[in-house]
Amino acid sequence: MQKYLSRHNFYTLLDTLISGGIRVVAPRMTAGIPLYGPLGESVEMVLDQLPRRSAKEAFFPVCEDIMSYEKEGQQVRLTDVEPASFPETVLVGVRPCDAAAIPVLDGVFSWDYKDEFFLERRRKTTVIGLACTSADDACFCTAVGLSPADTRGSDLFLTPLADGGYLCDVCSDKGEALVADTINLFSEPGSSTPLPLAAPSVPAFDLKKVKGWLDGHFEDPLWDGTALRCVGCGACAFVCPACHCFDIVDEGTEKSGKRRKSWDACGFWKFTHHASGHNPRDKQPKRYRNRIMHKFKYYDDKFGQTLCTGCGRCVRICPVGIDIAAIVTEINGMAIECTPAGGETRS
Amino acid sequence: MINTIDISHYGTVAESIRIEAARILGEGLVTAVVAYTAGRRAGSVQPAIITSAAEAERLTFTAASVNNLAVYLTKAKKDIPRSGRIGIVVKGCDLKALVGLMGESQLQREQLYLIGIPCAGVLASTVRPAEPLTAGNLAPKCRECDAQLPEGCDYVPEIDLPLPTPLESTYAAEIARLEGLTPAERWAYWKEQFAKCIKCYACRQVCPFCFCEQCLCDRNKPQMVDTTPRPAGNTAWHIVRAMHLAGRCAGCAECERVCPMDIPLNLLNRKMAKELKELFDYEAGFAVNEKGPLTMFMEKDDQSFIK
Ligand code: SF4
Ligand code: SF4
Ligand code: SF4
Ligand code: SF4
Repeated sequence: MQKYLSRHNFYTLLDTLISGGIRVVAPRMTAGIPLYGPLGESVEMVLDQLPRRSAKEAFFPVCEDIMSYEKEGQQVRLTDVEPASFPETVLVGVRPCDAAAIPVLDGVFSWDYKDEFFLERRRKTTVIGLACTSADDACFCTAVGLSPADTRGSDLFLTPLADGGYLCDVCSDKGEALVADTINLFSEPGSSTPLPLAAPSVPAFDLKKVKGWLDGHFEDPLWDGTALRCVGCGACAFVCPACHCFDIVDEGTEKSGKRRKSWDACGFWKFTHHASGHNPRDKQPKRYRNRIMHKFKYYDDKFGQTLCTGCGRCVRICPVGIDIAAIVTEINGMAIECTPAGGETRS
Repeated sequence: MINTIDISHYGTVAESIRIEAARILGEGLVTAVVAYTAGRRAGSVQPAIITSAAEAERLTFTAASVNNLAVYLTKAKKDIPRSGRIGIVVKGCDLKALVGLMGESQLQREQLYLIGIPCAGVLASTVRPAEPLTAGNLAPKCRECDAQLPEGCDYVPEIDLPLPTPLESTYAAEIARLEGLTPAERWAYWKEQFAKCIKCYACRQVCPFCFCEQCLCDRNKPQMVDTTPRPAGNTAWHIVRAMHLAGRCAGCAECERVCPMDIPLNLLNRKMAKELKELFDYEAGFAVNEKGPLTMFMEKDDQSFIK
């Protein structure tokens, strides 16, 4: 189903939701940079820049309390954080690369252990995606099988039109319910044409072949060649919409405190440092190899999906210019070279 | 602000680096050269460690050659094999860091072959590496640079262009603005900035002076600093970072460049540098000092803080 939403009505929709007590989260300027955050009113929204951090934080915050403890004499009192208290949320202005990562994350958060913190936010959030009309040469959604108009992960999906309004695709029951509640703001699609979509320039990867190459190249000169210069920070993982590793720590005093969950990153030396002192990933290239393996092989092995949506954030922010699109392009090339002409690939 | 900065000599500089790197590797003077090569994206540049003369033709130098390569010579980067003498490309600000590392007995001059850059400035950020260099996107450190011609290098490409005259310091203006606030207002400013910190430690990992084999913030026996990106741990981290670099930071501003959350880290560094100048008449420069201002005592030191 498609509807028309004028620019004015789009902002009215958000203000209506906010005054109705719904938490509306959208990109907005925060101490000088665009980040997703709750809006006080719709005009705070900034739609012309990709937020520095991805939309994953709407479901998987940078840091959250999961429990608190208090000790009195011999008595210890534990108090759980109740996911039921999480607010109903509408997440707006989400780019296709951010939105598409959300269902990818469902895999790991609802696997053997059901992470109620993630899943309850997921149930309570309606995602309004937004098509991209510009891309830089760090963007490569089209290389990983997505596109600037991909609706995966969105409940409603907006495509900017020449008249400043939006064409609104209704992609799920949640989306349909939101439209039904505010139906007077929508009308039937008119004659205004969609603005030209962004066109990322990285040629498409053959993800099956890339995975096939990774299956056989845990040891390869590529890792030292590309990642010896990696400085081992958490920047690439933290800005990534799909990276989802976290750490759990207790913070507080002997008497009281909180158990907290916060983002972790495989680039850190500490990530696999055992209590014994042994570290199986004792060098930076081994840590970087894990980043590529997890995204293009392990996650595919386990959940049948790729853990990279081509948002390009890690490419833009890596302090030492490590470019995942360039590395996977190289792997893609090697994978195709080692495929016998006309033969079957390993996959 | 769109006044373009003249970096037309960078082409000649790049060519000279290629020739010199090939020569010193070919003659066996060095075993490796740490320099810059082009990346995939238009205009992008990345650090490279080359070990053969044939690889020298890949080297480049442009306004996107932002990295302080000195970090690769520190013991924090022990994965990088090192043997024999190493060649390294340095801008003046990078050289100040190397000199600081020599003062701290981390490196010896004889181990290095320094290729110095006659520098007119680099980009503040490499998010858009192909942008032409202007007063608007120039790294703030370059506006006030006193190190455009590094001293004491083994080789500096000769150029006949005058280097641009420094511009007004934006750091000094911002420090003056913050000094003019009440403590409560100043605290509110930093609280808002630190609230963005995600503890990615990119700032620490690129810093040539953050060579501790285990950072205090990574210790958990005992846990010295809260690890989570929350007000307590973030504030503690930023105080630890600023204080441990006071009198050591040479001003390459790599921490500020790499921060994905745009936290103005070099403002803290510049403020500390200003205090050290006022209190101990100390400034980071091109001469090796064995004792930094905070590791020695002199009778003329300001003691007014003892009440
Ligand atoms: S790996 Fe990089 S490009 Fe891919 S989704 Fe993550 S941040 Fe974006
Ligand atoms: S690839 Fe870049 S951003 Fe990622 S850990 Fe290494 S240096 Fe940091
Ligand atoms: S601070 Fe000076 S030496 Fe360093 S990059 Fe800028 S102009 Fe060059
Ligand atoms: S680089 Fe920025 S976000 Fe990362 S730890 Fe440093 S200050 Fe925090």
